[in-house]
Amino acid sequence: MSKFISKKDLNSWLNKVRESRRLVAPTKVDDLILFKEISRVEDIVTDYVNTDLSPKEFLFPPTEVLFSIERKNGGVELTPARVEKETVIFGMRPCDARGVIALDKPFLEEPTDPLYKEHRDKTALVGIACLKACPECFCSSMGGGPDDPTGFDIMLTEVKDGYLVQVLTEKGQALLPDSMLSESSVAKPKAADVSKVPAEGINKKLRQNFEDPYWSRLADRCIHCNMCSYVCPTCYCFDIRDYPNKGKTNRVRSWESCQSAGFTKIAGGYDPRANKGTRMRQRFAHKLLYFPEQFGVSHCVGCGRCVKSCPVNIDIREIIQDVQKLGAEGE
Amino acid sequence: MSETEQIRSKAKELLDSKKVDCVIGYERATDGKNARPMFAYSVKDADRLIFDQTCRHNLVRYLLDRKDKLTGIVVKACDSRAINLLLNEHQIQRDKIFIIGVVCPGLVKTDWNKTGDKLRDACQLCQQRTPVVYDVLIGEAKKLEPPADAYPDVAAMEGKSLEEKRAFWEKEFSRCIRCYACRQACPGCYCSECFVDRLDPLWVGIKIAPGENEMWNTMRAYHLGGRCIGCYACELVCPVNIPLSLLNRKLEKEVMKLFKFQPGLDPETPQPLATFQKDEKLGVAE
Amino acid sequence: MSNNKNPLLPHLATLQNVIDLTPDVRLFQIELNDAAFKAKFDYKPGQFIFVSAFGTGESPFGLASVAHRKGPIEVAVRKVGTVTSSLHDLEPGASVGVRGPFGNFFPMDQFKGKNIHIIGGGIGFAPLRPVILTILDHRTDYGDLLILNGARTPSDLVFANEFETWAAAPKTRLELTVDAKDDKWTGRVALIPAVLKELQISPANSVAIICGPPIMIKFTLTELKKLGFADEQIVTTLEGKMKCGLGKCARCNVGDKYVCKDGPVFTFKQISGLLEQF
Repeated sequence: MSKFISKKDLNSWLNKVRESRRLVAPTKVDDLILFKEISRVEDIVTDYVNTDLSPKEFLFPPTEVLFSIERKNGGVELTPARVEKETVIFGMRPCDARGVIALDKPFLEEPTDPLYKEHRDKTALVGIACLKACPECFCSSMGGGPDDPTGFDIMLTEVKDGYLVQVLTEKGQALLPDSMLSESSVAKPKAADVSKVPAEGINKKLRQNFEDPYWSRLADRCIHCNMCSYVCPTCYCFDIRDYPNKGKTNRVRSWESCQSAGFTKIAGGYDPRANKGTRMRQRFAHKLLYFPEQFGVSHCVGCGRCVKSCPVNIDIREIIQDVQKLGAEGE
Repeated sequence: MSETEQIRSKAKELLDSKKVDCVIGYERATDGKNARPMFAYSVKDADRLIFDQTCRHNLVRYLLDRKDKLTGIVVKACDSRAINLLLNEHQIQRDKIFIIGVVCPGLVKTDWNKTGDKLRDACQLCQQRTPVVYDVLIGEAKKLEPPADAYPDVAAMEGKSLEEKRAFWEKEFSRCIRCYACRQACPGCYCSECFVDRLDPLWVGIKIAPGENEMWNTMRAYHLGGRCIGCYACELVCPVNIPLSLLNRKLEKEVMKLFKFQPGLDPETPQPLATFQKDEKLGVAE
Repeated sequence: MSNNKNPLLPHLATLQNVIDLTPDVRLFQIELNDAAFKAKFDYKPGQFIFVSAFGTGESPFGLASVAHRKGPIEVAVRKVGTVTSSLHDLEPGASVGVRGPFGNFFPMDQFKGKNIHIIGGGIGFAPLRPVILTILDHRTDYGDLLILNGARTPSDLVFANEFETWAAAPKTRLELTVDAKDDKWTGRVALIPAVLKELQISPANSVAIICGPPIMIKFTLTELKKLGFADEQIVTTLEGKMKCGLGKCARCNVGDKYVCKDGPVFTFKQISGLLEQF
């Protein structure tokens, strides 16, 4: 027996959630599907595999004021930003929950980033298991799975007329009390078939072939836009700068990408990664070697967004396969 | 021989005779349907070159990374105009490049893992399918009937009220995530320090937010005024489908109206916005 | 460590004094405003802080003072970019922000009893000053001390006003060199590696601590190896573009090591073992 909620009850619940919290869910924006703050529950799409941009922007916004700087009484006063509203992100896929777990590592590790922590504490994650996968998905090769509930507060699996419900945390329990659920003996549907990528031991292979000219060749076609880092649910590089704003100054944090030229350029002009190939290698070494070894979780969750968005088809699945073969006989 | 076979044959010949170190062309992407840029360094590599209606990238951009190297390059008509632009601006040298021009059948609307038969909007309006500069031409030179109205999309925007236009662009730019793929894909955007990266003076900030997004996109369009050769690679690479070509085409139309000038037709004609003739009026009052 | 509650929020501080060291380098003497935090603020040679020029941003600077002297926090700032230009516009009394101290430190305890060769070029000499001051303040703990300070021109030599004090210390030798002299210079005109060759310094029971522009480090390293120094005997402090100083923004890494957390002090043995070779 599992817990169950009908589609009708789910919508009532979502409407109730919307009254006291910010409800974020996938919705159609022209021909894209994006996570947006929802004003009408009817706008939530359910027939999709995954969104075009990841939901990380609700925990780690593209642009965020860290604190404001005001000149007062001959001195300076700093006022840190606060997160006001509680948020529920509805309709996340298991890969994106793994993405949040990865993002937690650098931000919550001591010394904790208080703004990220506030976002995190005030946000509940409601997931929907994947019954369909796109050809680019490869979550099961990166430590996750299409019906993996890890990281969610509530996990839903679509069945006839409603959803099977797993309430996984206290936060989830407080949000969706048992009284709203009924019992069901409906069998759990089969999770999506997900393509496989040979990622086992990729970190060792990367370390062994670090100086291979493969990276230079790969970087030939890279145009150094920031797209891969921005669509990725786990990329977290940021830039910090001060901005004047109506008499005050704000210190602002914004997304940045290790792929842009000048990412490592210091005042005076010296740039250790001026070469395109070294920047390309940095991205994949960080994703598949440094981060997993430092934090123990994968930095790629296999969502496939970078594969779909890269204008020149730099495909991490292809790279994993190529790197596995590097140094082997014949290459 | 198909275009693909002709391109492969020419590329192999160039690489084998060491006339070039590398041929920049297209190969099949990992979705099995679209094309992606490819750098062929050997005769073996050249066997992967293809040409079809999914070859949407403007490869001329890559010539800017290979300024002192001998390079072969596959170009469509719009791409070839970019070569003239860069020659005009002294960014590349003609004797360092071998241009494999391809008469373009027009690109189809594609997306990741999806192709179709319908031509891109810009390709439907295209007035030149034959490259304007090349060392070898693949395909038969075609003269196209210019369409009755070359800028119906611009005219439609011009017909909107100020409020409608503002609302339209606010909505479009609200999606901008400042990935700069538009700038990176554009052969005309090659400043060693883009105005948007300058801190002092701070023209546009790093905030990914409305207000700044408009500044970024419109200023970039202005910097390309009289220079944009109309490949619209910017619009093709935008991950959130902002119709950037509308901005560039509006300026294209204005430049044509004012100066009877189309950028990229040849490398010699001075650009009207970058030159000042003696008999030109100095100011409004004159 | 930095403000426990918010590691990206600077502590308010006041610029006490600004001293011109060279035409483009200034020594800033900074006092933290909060007495309790100031009392706890301890740092070791090699560590760095972020200094905020409010309204422009913040940048990392190697600490040029030593905590045990209980004076103001000192950083040498070369005017070379936007934040440093804003800092150079400040007058004594101005408010600045301080975050830190960050990074690891020179293992002064391991250097005790050894002969120390301090080799610095230009602004790179600033993070070496705390090493010198520590040795001079505990002179008998260390062996012979060689201070080799080089710069492009005589007016670019930093801490010139302290040379006399340093040279006068027991078992201490001060050597200066410039790439190009001016009208008044009567000293040596040579590149640092050439000076090392001339001095024929011995690696016996020695440590060489070097800091300067990448090109200087490269050639100095070659010369030191020729003189017989092993990689573990050569120590340097790396720099990198940094935004957080906490190992969070994933920018200053060299391979899988962060300059801000695992460094900035590294031996050459450690550097040659790094995945990325810059």
